[in-house]
Amino acid sequence: MTFLHKEIMNFYKIIFFIFFILFTYDLNSAAGGACKDYGDCDKFDYSLNDIESLQRGASTYINYCYGCHSLQYSRWGRVATDLQIPEDIFFENLVFDKSIKPGDLMTGAMPEDSANWFGVAPPDLTLVSRYKGDDWIYSYLRAYYEDSSKQYGVNNLVYPGTAMPNVLLALQGNQKLVCKDIPMIAANGGQKRDEYGNDILKKKCGFLEVEEGTGKLTKEEFDDLIYDLTNFLVYVGEPIKATRERLGWYVIFYFLIFTALSSLLYREFHKDYNK
Amino acid sequence: MSEIAGRLFSWVNDRLPIVNTFERHLSKHPVPSKVNFWYLFGALAAVTLIIQIVTGIWLIMPYSNTEEQAFSSIEYIMRDVDYGWVIRYMHTTGASLFFAVVYLHMFRGLLYGSYQKPKELVWIFGCTIYVAMMAEGFLGYVLPYGQMSYWGAQVIISLFGAIPYVGESLELWVRGDYYISGITVSRFFALHVVALPLVLIALVFLHLVALHEVGAGNPEGVDIEKYLDDDGIPLDSVPFFPYKVLNALVAIGVFGIVFSVIMFFFPEGGGYFIEMANFEKANPLVTPDHIAPVWYYAPFYTMLRAVPDPLGGLIVMAAAVAIFFIVPWLDNSKVASIRYKGIYSKVAITLFGVSFLTLGYLGTVGVTEIRKTMSVVCTIIYFAYFLLMPIYTKFETTKVVPERL
Repeated sequence: MTFLHKEIMNFYKIIFFIFFILFTYDLNSAAGGACKDYGDCDKFDYSLNDIESLQRGASTYINYCYGCHSLQYSRWGRVATDLQIPEDIFFENLVFDKSIKPGDLMTGAMPEDSANWFGVAPPDLTLVSRYKGDDWIYSYLRAYYEDSSKQYGVNNLVYPGTAMPNVLLALQGNQKLVCKDIPMIAANGGQKRDEYGNDILKKKCGFLEVEEGTGKLTKEEFDDLIYDLTNFLVYVGEPIKATRERLGWYVIFYFLIFTALSSLLYREFHKDYNK
Repeated sequence: MSEIAGRLFSWVNDRLPIVNTFERHLSKHPVPSKVNFWYLFGALAAVTLIIQIVTGIWLIMPYSNTEEQAFSSIEYIMRDVDYGWVIRYMHTTGASLFFAVVYLHMFRGLLYGSYQKPKELVWIFGCTIYVAMMAEGFLGYVLPYGQMSYWGAQVIISLFGAIPYVGESLELWVRGDYYISGITVSRFFALHVVALPLVLIALVFLHLVALHEVGAGNPEGVDIEKYLDDDGIPLDSVPFFPYKVLNALVAIGVFGIVFSVIMFFFPEGGGYFIEMANFEKANPLVTPDHIAPVWYYAPFYTMLRAVPDPLGGLIVMAAAVAIFFIVPWLDNSKVASIRYKGIYSKVAITLFGVSFLTLGYLGTVGVTEIRKTMSVVCTIIYFAYFLLMPIYTKFETTKVVPERL
């Protein structure tokens, strides 16, 4: 940057300051996250090298989801191979239609007129992790709550008015929206207390809480189940993702060596020229 | 054996100017001895073009250009074709980086006056390449036939509809149907893989021939042709091989690192290189929540939206691209490089750069009141940079350019 003068530097500072203010203001005013009433989506960190998690996820998917949601770009045999499940075990336990061959696509088990059942045809989910994102799926499947005004008695904070019933209700239990008394925070960051030193509480609604004893799984177990299921959907969205990230290091390493060698060569030749 | 090969070579060389052409345009071609990193993006653009052509050829093999199969054939490439994902991600990453490299290459031109006499034609061929690239990129984006392909195409093609009298028939003519359909996809496919690549290659050829005729520039804006040695070669030059080649090789290495980081770890580029909505098959009945162009069109899309009237927006957008063509005649400066230009030019190019980036950001996000104002302000700055150029380059004090590099 040889062309910078003092007065220009000052001018640049002003320009960047103005834009900095505008951008900060702009980013803060941007409203409405992907997870709607849920607030920010819960962060999901996939672990595609955790084969057991993927296996559990696949099993959950096929048992609870595949009845309605196909994975039409994925092949049965590929899933078995990638998830390191021996083909005979895979086909005996997870493939219910015995006429299916390993090379077949997972085109689903729904009849054509299924749209009439839910008002909308259940979408194919092969790529759901890519167009909705894993954070969204992980939050969505855990954000169902009881709402008697809906056709299937449930609604969803992440996707209000969703057409899908809570298929995993028996496992999760009956989740409800509840109100809670939460301590108020004073302007100085501490807890607000009244003159007797008792905490001042504020009623706040919109918390999800599972009615105890209504589900087969504890909250932690259910979260793990959804983790595995989401992990599986990340895998199915891009089966080569783990391979891609592994290969990437080798290619980058190659280019590092390439850059180092070529710059040494470049310097050597320029020494020669400058003499 | 080697004698036979030598005789065969000279037989061919007597009939085809192999050695001459090679020496003139590659091995002995003189290039300025002192340039900076800004002068490497031309070579990188050439590398990216080659990547796009080669990966493109391999993508055509398994791709299906029908309405029913376009989307699923991409998934077929990603899943069932051996290393199909490598080819496909190279093509998508390459497309974005092609634009990135070309934008930097163009900015270099503005910084160091690479359009000034006698390089006007080099510049004009370059601008034409850019226009062809924009068309090529748009056509290619429609081919996977995802939601954003469909709705992006819908927005862009409907722009033609804003043209008075002929608009609607033009729209129909471009689409080949009353709505975007398999017919649109297959004609875009033909244009994307045959017509525009031919145009691009021809233009790149002309760009390079014209450049080699007038000689490459340098960041000082020094005319190296003034001082020649006894053989008529500029004193401040080095032969293209090996100096420039090695320089480019280092650049290719660094570019390779950037390319692989994106391609292997962030192929979607956070939704900027492959938009999330494009993983959903095109659905004419469902409009996505938020239609945004890919990042490299975003600045122009913002200008389109900044004008309330569709025809006005279209004119502003087209003018924003077209104005590059006349830059050689807008610059009245006696010096080429920003290093020797006056303070007005320096302020102007900074404001231009900042407004271009801001326009780009605004094109990828939704509209709010403050963003609307910002896009109008930035559009005005963008045009002011060009339209006021004849004035501020004429009346500013420039510094004296040295005789030698």
